[in-house]
Amino acid sequence: MKQVKILKTLCITIGIAALIAGCSKDKDAKDTEYPTIDVTASVAFPKQCSELTRGQKFTAKILVADNAELGSVSIDVHHNFDHHSHSTEVTECNMAAVKTPVKPFLLVKSIPIPAGNKSYTVSEQINVPSDIDPGDYHFMIRVTDKEGWQTMKGLSIKIK
Amino acid sequence: MFYCIANAKLHQLIVTVIDDQNKPVPGASVSLEKHEMVPVAAPDGVYVFKELPPGDYRLHISMTGYKSFRKKITVTDHDISLPVTLHPDVHVFQEVVVQNHTIGQRKKEEQLNLEIVKSDFIQKNLGGSLMQSLERLPGVKTIGIGPGQSKPLIRGMGFNRVVVIDRGIKHEGQQWGADHGLEIDQFATEEVEIIKGAASFAYGSDAIAGAINVKSPALPAANTFGGDINLIGKTNNALYGTSLNIYGRTKKWFGTGRVTLQDYGDYRVPANRVYVYDYPVDLHNNYLRNTAGQEANLHFSTGYINKQFRSVFYISNTYSKSGFFANAHGLEPRNVDAAMHDRSSRDILMPYQEVNHFKLINRSHLRLNNHALELEAGYQNNFREEYNRYVNHGFMPAIYPGTMSIPIGLERAFNKNVYSLNIKDQLKLNRHELQFGINGEIQSNTINGWSFLVPSFDQKSFGAFIYDKIFLNNRTLLHGAVRYDHSHIHIHSYTDWFPSPLEQNGETSEIHIERAGDIKRSFNSVTGSIGINYNRAQIELKANAGKSYRVPIAKELGANGVNYHYFSYERGNASLNPEESYQLDVTAVLHKNKWRIQVSPFFNYFPNYIYLNPTAQHDYLYGAGNQVFEYTQSKVLRFGGELQVKYQARENLSAEILAEYLYAEQLSGNKRGYTLPFSPPPSALLNLTYGPVHTEPFHRTYFSVDYRITAAQNNIVPPEKKTAGYAVMNIQAGSRFNIQKQQVQLSLQLQNVFNTRYLNHTSFYRLIGLPEQGRNLVLSVKVPFNFLKNKQEI
Repeated sequence: MKQVKILKTLCITIGIAALIAGCSKDKDAKDTEYPTIDVTASVAFPKQCSELTRGQKFTAKILVADNAELGSVSIDVHHNFDHHSHSTEVTECNMAAVKTPVKPFLLVKSIPIPAGNKSYTVSEQINVPSDIDPGDYHFMIRVTDKEGWQTMKGLSIKIK
Repeated sequence: MFYCIANAKLHQLIVTVIDDQNKPVPGASVSLEKHEMVPVAAPDGVYVFKELPPGDYRLHISMTGYKSFRKKITVTDHDISLPVTLHPDVHVFQEVVVQNHTIGQRKKEEQLNLEIVKSDFIQKNLGGSLMQSLERLPGVKTIGIGPGQSKPLIRGMGFNRVVVIDRGIKHEGQQWGADHGLEIDQFATEEVEIIKGAASFAYGSDAIAGAINVKSPALPAANTFGGDINLIGKTNNALYGTSLNIYGRTKKWFGTGRVTLQDYGDYRVPANRVYVYDYPVDLHNNYLRNTAGQEANLHFSTGYINKQFRSVFYISNTYSKSGFFANAHGLEPRNVDAAMHDRSSRDILMPYQEVNHFKLINRSHLRLNNHALELEAGYQNNFREEYNRYVNHGFMPAIYPGTMSIPIGLERAFNKNVYSLNIKDQLKLNRHELQFGINGEIQSNTINGWSFLVPSFDQKSFGAFIYDKIFLNNRTLLHGAVRYDHSHIHIHSYTDWFPSPLEQNGETSEIHIERAGDIKRSFNSVTGSIGINYNRAQIELKANAGKSYRVPIAKELGANGVNYHYFSYERGNASLNPEESYQLDVTAVLHKNKWRIQVSPFFNYFPNYIYLNPTAQHDYLYGAGNQVFEYTQSKVLRFGGELQVKYQARENLSAEILAEYLYAEQLSGNKRGYTLPFSPPPSALLNLTYGPVHTEPFHRTYFSVDYRITAAQNNIVPPEKKTAGYAVMNIQAGSRFNIQKQQVQLSLQLQNVFNTRYLNHTSFYRLIGLPEQGRNLVLSVKVPFNFLKNKQEI
């Protein structure tokens, strides 16, 4: 039947088109890899359960890497007095009792990474004011790569 | 007749089916018992069995709304012409006089890719929401957060790119959001049309990827007074529900009422532990904490009907309260008081949402000579509130100030008021069926809550269209449509209620950030479409080429805030242009012997697709350190299609394959070469249905197995994750039997038979790795009742 032939041809054409499309995807390999943050390396600081001291400066060392090119880093320190938890690490830290914040420490900082880097270590000096509430805090790290993939790490830290 | 006899020994049986008013009845099911031969349907209710060897046959004709017809036929040495008059079945709750087009006929005369499903289909495939019940259709998917809340995704596009029409009026909720569903009661739904492909010329802006048209329920037949009750139970989330429907009609006046109630607990997944980002969450007895909910819907309709005129008022209110997965509000991992949440799987604690949707619609039809005038006027209020314990994000104060007028638990609220008006005339002139009309809509949107995402705005839109359908000959139809739209949006400014520190020249000052400016934009657009239908006895072909468009929404133009559900800082772009789409659609259907094959490829090009692009930057001030996502426009190419093959092996046994494929690629901009987010991977559904016949007192019994195979989706774009392939099996069974002359309908479903753990690429919760619902047994019983002994009963 002529009509059947037409349909068959149509099916085959679509099938081939689909196959071509399916294959062409692999040709120009797009970057689909997320960047990484190494929070356990020996130089990395702070680490899960690290302790900071009020009125003192510390240097945050953040090791980030990507398969193609890094974008930028953002760090965020906020209180966890209510145990809302943003920790991404397996190890649990000893938490103080839940308490109401009075003057909690808050830090939000975006750190650009120079273009063309596949790996980078952020060294950022951070001042912990002396008049802030001591207690449990979160140290959040976000890193993007140039394509817009983002990876996050949340560390539980203590400020004494 | 244009058929000829192929073999001299074989003869034709020509059946002409009319109703008791001498009108032809196309679309009836005409068969010869114990014979597999299918008649060829010609126009005007004529059905032809072409090559019948001499012998005795039992002819069986059935059609919804009519009493079925049986007659013994003996073929000897000549062709037989048999006129058959079908009589209305007065038991059936359906106005057969009004409905003059059958499904088959409507599909043949529609230029777009059209699927029509009835309440039978919904009963058989009952999901957690209307959209999930429709998900079995190829090319239709849902996007959502679990079984209760989902939105339509047609060929990979959803949100504001799919229009939902309810009883003639565009349904207006918070279409842009993924974490709440469509406020439509699936039990009040008798018939749904799904239009795949660009349909702006018919439905206006937003119908750029398709439309879901929830039709007005059929009117009760004259002189009836009855109803039905639906009872629903589901094991996975311990859902119980009911929907009670009452109708009554004198000759010209009628009224209906329906109440639907559903209550469900937390749903269960085949996992003891899930990882929200990398944060491990242990699940108590596989329950997704705090996903319980409840739903209460009310519907009334009343109206007047005579031969020329019909006017119906629909009033409805849908209400739902549902919890969000407590360990991740949006995508943000949270530590919760597990003991408190796990005490009961039915309680709804924070975070939760309440959504109320009220609708008042009038639909009026007037027939005057060769005119059919239609008017739809509607008012809707959509009120959505999200409650959550106060969490200070970014620079928000650690303690919620006591001076705030916004309640501490109210994270966000959206209040939308919409007035709509449609006027349309359909005119028959010789070979032309001309439709023209206007649509208007006025919206006001206000926001509340301590978190900001989308500004308040007002919007007015107006459209006018003309559509001509030309019956060129009895095989060919031509279509042409042009539409003009104008819309105006006024976005209101919004300023943070808390200060943020601005660092300038080494000094830090505190400012209240203006999140949205006062923006006014006007948009004009001309869209159109041309199409053709070519129908032969065994072949249906349709093709359609058109341009569609979509006006940018307030979020795309005016967003400027942190979406903590995504850890993203979303930046709108006030200078976006209306999105345009060019689309070519083809559908080919072949009916031959026991086969029905349908192929529907499409090709689609957007010169300026509006896209929320995740950038490499972070913003400390406006974005509180979050990744910047900005709205941009890029060229996008998409193609794909659906394949439906049905093989009716025997009268009682059929096999079916429903497959779909979609490819999308951004051709320009920052994400050039990448796909679009939420692109469904290729999938195929294999079905086997056994429907025993002659099983009185049981009717329309079926046992059916669906096996859906879904490929992996490795073609992704930030911020997606690759999704592995999977296979899931569902089993459906059901039957009907009479109790006191009323046909009771029983449907059973076993979803996810093997309790397979899999991730759905189009789920909002995919990013935090939440698996889909586990095994679920769904039981639904529909019992009709009748208060009147009908006098016409024979």
